[in-house]
Amino acid sequence: MALEPSTEGYQVKLEIFEGPLDLLLFLIRKKKIDIHDIPIAQITRDYLEYLERKDRINLDREAEFLFIASLLIYIKSQLLLPRETETAEGEDPRRILVDRLVEYQKIKAVSSVLRDREEEQLLHWRRTFLPPLPEEDPLEGMDVSLFNLAEAFFLIMKRKSAGDFRVIKGREVTIGEKMTELLGLLERESVIDYKDYFETQESLEEALISFFCLLELIKSFRVIAVQEELFQTIKVWLRKDFPRNPDYE
Amino acid sequence: MSDQLKPIIEALVFLSQDPLTLDKIQSILEGTPPEEIQAALDALSADYASPERGISLRLAGGGYVFSTKPEHDGWVRRLLMIERKSKLSAAGLETLSAIAYHQPVTQAEISAIRGVDSSGALRTLLDKKLIKIVGRKKAPGNPLVYRTSERFLQYFGLNSLDELPSTEEIARILQEDAESET
Repeated sequence: MALEPSTEGYQVKLEIFEGPLDLLLFLIRKKKIDIHDIPIAQITRDYLEYLERKDRINLDREAEFLFIASLLIYIKSQLLLPRETETAEGEDPRRILVDRLVEYQKIKAVSSVLRDREEEQLLHWRRTFLPPLPEEDPLEGMDVSLFNLAEAFFLIMKRKSAGDFRVIKGREVTIGEKMTELLGLLERESVIDYKDYFETQESLEEALISFFCLLELIKSFRVIAVQEELFQTIKVWLRKDFPRNPDYE
Repeated sequence: MSDQLKPIIEALVFLSQDPLTLDKIQSILEGTPPEEIQAALDALSADYASPERGISLRLAGGGYVFSTKPEHDGWVRRLLMIERKSKLSAAGLETLSAIAYHQPVTQAEISAIRGVDSSGALRTLLDKKLIKIVGRKKAPGNPLVYRTSERFLQYFGLNSLDELPSTEEIARILQEDAESET
């Protein structure tokens, strides 16, 4: 763990330290100071100097480092201020910090012991601790061929015709309208399930038109259709590289 | 000692998912004196220690386990297609150490000891089942209370928490550290 004069800045350097106590311990050790007799003024200066090297701010971590900084300054002020009761209680203001550092130092020592044990133990493989053998990613999508699409379409239509419903009056739909509707839906939902979308179509004519629209959109590179597995539903996305909100006529 | 004792114990350890404790073996082999069981275990362990064997019988996690030998680590990793073993992060180890020495302990207490927020490290350790939640503290907010798990002992090859470094040992380590830095 080295602290070179850096040009890289605070953020990078801080990664070495597990926290403000770790940093403080490092500064103390570097100076070979007895932890029970810390020259607060000196250490506070070193600590703050270190913090000043920052150029980026990570508020989460910053707060923890600043807390210890303020604690250091507080202790320093306590040491400087004349006391009326002349240390009657005999309490060293550094005590709160020293206790924490001593405890933290122990934890660090134990950590290093555990690290060694871990290294040693990891060389002993046990059957119960075996991680699963790597598998191929089952979620990798495959491109859909026209054949797959058509097959899915006929499957759905078959199901649809088996359903117990009757079209009372077909509504005139144009490809243009359908296209706008489909694109609007895709923009809202970002991804649609082709099968579900189909179920909402009122008539065979409408279903057919929407299917043509889908094919047209794929052909013109406006959408991507992916079928994760054969005979499964097909998911449709808008292509990100294509300008949104196109008014399709 | 009956001739069969050694192979029987071998079969039991082989099949056992968790470290097989002496108590457990005793309860299975009713009436066999514990010294004989211990002698059989020692003999078995010595058999496996031979360089002709790829497996070792060790006392770890409070019981007996079979594991591969360190010198075969490279081959095992080839089988498992693992290039590097994942180790605990420094934050994870620190958090574990804090829990091991202060348990039962709350998240706030751990964070105070380390001087940094430890909630992320705690979650990882819980996921790895190295620590467990043992209840809630009767304090404002009823915070969760954590302890190290059985798995923790097994992971570090410890048989009990008593095997963790004592205060004197820690002092000695710190002394050595200070000297090595000069």
